[in-house]
Amino acid sequence: MNFAYATYYLTTRSLRETFRQPGVEVSNLFIPIFFFFVTVGALGGVAAGAFEIENYRGFALPVAVLQGAAGAASSGGLGMVTDIERGYFDKLMLSPAPRLSLVLGRLVADGVRVTILAIVISTVALIFGAGMETGPGGFLILILMSGAFGFTYSGIGMAIALKTGSPQAAQVGFLVFFPLLFLSPAFAPKEFFEGWLQFLATINPVTYILEAQRSLVLDGWEWEKLGYSAAAIAGFGAFTLTLTMLALRTRTA
Amino acid sequence: MSSAIETQLLVKHYTPEIKAVDGIDIDVPHGSIFGFLGANGSGKTTTVRMLTTLLRPTGGSARVDGLDIVKDAAQVRQTVGVALQEVSLDDIQTGRELLTLQSRLYGVPGSQIKERVERLLGLVDLSDAADRLLKTYSGGMKRRLDLAAALVHEPKIVFLDEPTTGLDPISREAIWREIEGLNKSEGVTFFLTTQYMEEADRLTDRVAIIDAGRIIAEGSPTELKASIGTDVITVGISGGPEDVGKAQQTLAQLDGTTDVRAVGDSVVVYIRDGSTVIPRVVTLLNEASVQMEEITLKRPTLDDVFLRATGHHMEAEEPQQTAEGGAA
Repeated sequence: MNFAYATYYLTTRSLRETFRQPGVEVSNLFIPIFFFFVTVGALGGVAAGAFEIENYRGFALPVAVLQGAAGAASSGGLGMVTDIERGYFDKLMLSPAPRLSLVLGRLVADGVRVTILAIVISTVALIFGAGMETGPGGFLILILMSGAFGFTYSGIGMAIALKTGSPQAAQVGFLVFFPLLFLSPAFAPKEFFEGWLQFLATINPVTYILEAQRSLVLDGWEWEKLGYSAAAIAGFGAFTLTLTMLALRTRTA
Repeated sequence: MSSAIETQLLVKHYTPEIKAVDGIDIDVPHGSIFGFLGANGSGKTTTVRMLTTLLRPTGGSARVDGLDIVKDAAQVRQTVGVALQEVSLDDIQTGRELLTLQSRLYGVPGSQIKERVERLLGLVDLSDAADRLLKTYSGGMKRRLDLAAALVHEPKIVFLDEPTTGLDPISREAIWREIEGLNKSEGVTFFLTTQYMEEADRLTDRVAIIDAGRIIAEGSPTELKASIGTDVITVGISGGPEDVGKAQQTLAQLDGTTDVRAVGDSVVVYIRDGSTVIPRVVTLLNEASVQMEEITLKRPTLDDVFLRATGHHMEAEEPQQTAEGGAA
């Protein structure tokens, strides 16, 4: 079976599952939008004085988008656990489809889900005055970057799901997400951080994605930041995909 | 021509203590129906999972249609059809969607998919339910769809792991007919596992009985039953374990017995010309003051073959559905 076809059909199947159970996405949408308004409400007024940020809505937009991305990607692992528990994953494993496409079918679908969520969340933020310095082109890059992050992030939950087959364990993906997102300049620029936090933020790949997205919203085209972000996504993606494929191999042991 | 399925000392040990499959040799010719009979936990499913590439063996080797199950795993997957014991379907697809996806994953040419899915839905009598989500299907419908899903690429070798466990008699009969039909008309080789004697007796050309990871008897159902060579008299004892022991000792004195065994609350006597011996059994037990509940005489069944080989009855999940054989 052709790799691209198999991946395409398996992606379609995963997306069909999402559209038939849209309720799952409600919390992925609600929580980041809620946090967006709460942080903007709490810090927006003092941000100019404290961190020299005039447009805190724009500053908070990428945080909301990445929070939505990670939330959606975390539930991707749950879909895999459901397939494993129902035995449907065995059926897929029995088919001659390439092993990588069995995993990519879900990861690509998660990337698409995240892309749609990112569009909705950032549109809400834009309506409430977040602004977009780089215009429609920057908006497009921001959305694609979020989708790519969702794709790579989903690999964590997927690896855990494949390794354990346990819904509880697959939720751990969500626990990994909080440190990753909040050990980054989520609420304030990292120049204002204490040393230890600044160090952790510097080695956290999410920091580079966040800063690149923020530059698109607030500052204009900063190619260096976009380059760092692309490298962070590629590196993080290589790491999670390797984990996922290693976990897949243990299923036949 | 090579065999459809051939194993040499196939082994799966999870730990040195847990020997799920412990050295199995089987040889299934093309075009036959081979039954793997055993209780829960005997190693049936582990064997099927190894032969279908879902599990790597820890020892020995196996070939399916001449292909090595480890080295040629991808080709084995393209060659065989499989329906696993736990119906392995995805609740939020429709029957038609599931079969279509299945066809695509097996590389059925796009132009043929629609027609083939339609034909398979008809074959398993699910045309009317084709566009309903699978979560609305009954157990029997899911099982039939699972069987159809195993056939999308028209495999010549099909593995069915307990295809009728938990089904009502009507659904069971429907599955049996489909298996027999495909075997006769298309020459499809079936490897099926079961815990039902009746199923093995009805469908299979050859049966291997597996217990604790090893094959303990193998042959055609007729051969296996004939190997017992005697009738089987079962005496139900109501007087407790002491009476069971006493009855066993007493009945061992009968002429012509090949074996007398205590099994739970019963004593089983393997003996020639059982019908002429029954009055003598009653007399002997009365003299020994053993309290009897019932006496049955029957021709040997596969259950008796199993009992003879293992010393215990097979524990099927639904005892009322197992074969009781013809009473005398």
